[in-house]
Amino acid sequence: MIIIIDELNRHKYTSVLEDMYRLRARVFQDRLGWEVNVQDGKEIDDFDGLQPTHVVCIDDEGDVVGCMRLLQTTGPHMLADVFYSILDGEPPLRSAQVWEATRFCVDTAKLSGGKTRNSISYVTSEVMIGAFEYAQKAGVLDAVAVIDPVMNRVLKRSGNAPYDYLGTAKPMGKVTAMAALMDCSDERIESIREFSDIRHDVFASEEEVRQRRAKRELRKQKDSDQPTGDLHDYFEQQLRDANDAEEVAAVKRLIQAVADQLPGDL
Amino acid sequence: MKLIDLSSVQDVDQHADAFLDELCQMLGFDFASYAATNPISGDVRGYANYPDEWKLHYTKRGLHHVDPTLYNSAKSIAPVDWGRFEHDGKFTKVFRDAHDFGISDRGLTVPIRGPYGDCGLLSVTRNCKPTEWEKLKQEVMGDLQISAVHIHDNVMQTGVLSKALSTPALSSREKEILQWVAVGKSQQDIGDILSISHRTVEVHLRSGREKLGALSTPQAVGRAIGLNLIMPG
Repeated sequence: MIIIIDELNRHKYTSVLEDMYRLRARVFQDRLGWEVNVQDGKEIDDFDGLQPTHVVCIDDEGDVVGCMRLLQTTGPHMLADVFYSILDGEPPLRSAQVWEATRFCVDTAKLSGGKTRNSISYVTSEVMIGAFEYAQKAGVLDAVAVIDPVMNRVLKRSGNAPYDYLGTAKPMGKVTAMAALMDCSDERIESIREFSDIRHDVFASEEEVRQRRAKRELRKQKDSDQPTGDLHDYFEQQLRDANDAEEVAAVKRLIQAVADQLPGDL
Repeated sequence: MKLIDLSSVQDVDQHADAFLDELCQMLGFDFASYAATNPISGDVRGYANYPDEWKLHYTKRGLHHVDPTLYNSAKSIAPVDWGRFEHDGKFTKVFRDAHDFGISDRGLTVPIRGPYGDCGLLSVTRNCKPTEWEKLKQEVMGDLQISAVHIHDNVMQTGVLSKALSTPALSSREKEILQWVAVGKSQQDIGDILSISHRTVEVHLRSGREKLGALSTPQAVGRAIGLNLIMPG
């Protein structure tokens, strides 16, 4: 499910955005080894301060599993100001009808191979359909996307091959970065939908997002409320041995405190 | 699209209103307006073809301080349909008055971000049914983008300093393609000659046109020759 988050609605999706920045840190710093700025586990750069649009994918469990960031090429954008080495000294494209897509990634640790609902290819396709349909509505005709060779292969194999590249691929961290051109056309969107068998409207309503995120909250709560193993037995014993309500409350406070320290694992 | 070419006129101020009139006539809108802040001079420039009484009322009441079509649309990279705005106090203040002057709240604003942190806003409105509005949007959004970047660039480039700073930076690919256009080749031919796709030719041509402030390809070729970027064909 795709959420389009811009400066006008971001206050409704604060926690989704935080998870997106965390996903970006895991992908761009940990996996790809890019020199990005990560604080508190979140990757946020100057371009996030320029009020870009984020295309975010959340899965059935409410987790953020894919994202992409869009900026106008008429104003400041990464190919003009950061990734210019890719362009071999040439000035970048500048057009009101071309958008730039950067920080495109999917959660390869959580998602599987193949073409199922929880696969890398499925989420990639959903993000792409979301971005292209959103761009089309804005009168935008093409996108230039900064991607790595792995993503490039995924695109080629999923009915969504770039029609050309700008400049030449350049080393960036552990991988190379390249600038791919893609048209925001009906034909391309249809080709991606055909390959991925995504026939539904990919855009999520506010209510759908709220429900999935609430489900996720509940699951996390449950995970951390039920200590397992030795700790679990210890707390059970403490609860049984408690003499009054005050002691029970104290044990519960301890459980919560420990759970907070070990998120998800207890 | 045939619009007044603001890059070929001496004084943008004098022609901006006529540009907006033509835009409305061609694309089917009731009214249009454009506003931008020049980040260098700090000047706010604005044009509109709204009725004079409304312009007067708008200015007198200082409605630009609360107008959501201005301060909210600048936050987006995509055109913003006014239907997205919350109907809060500020919205009501502007659009209740607008209604009294016969101006609909069915409209949208196209934001254009410039290279120096400047942002231009082209707004259009039309009093019509929702279905008609959706259809119209789909048909004209591309033309609105082209119009918005054209008026924005020309307004920003008035003033001697800005003009000097704005010699268009065309890439080799953009120049190469314009050169082949100048000798009379079609987009398909050029793609074959350069062994690139027809779409690649188009995306560079579009970018080159906009950098040269031209509304058509022949005009872009003329300017590129004039600036010694390419040779006459």
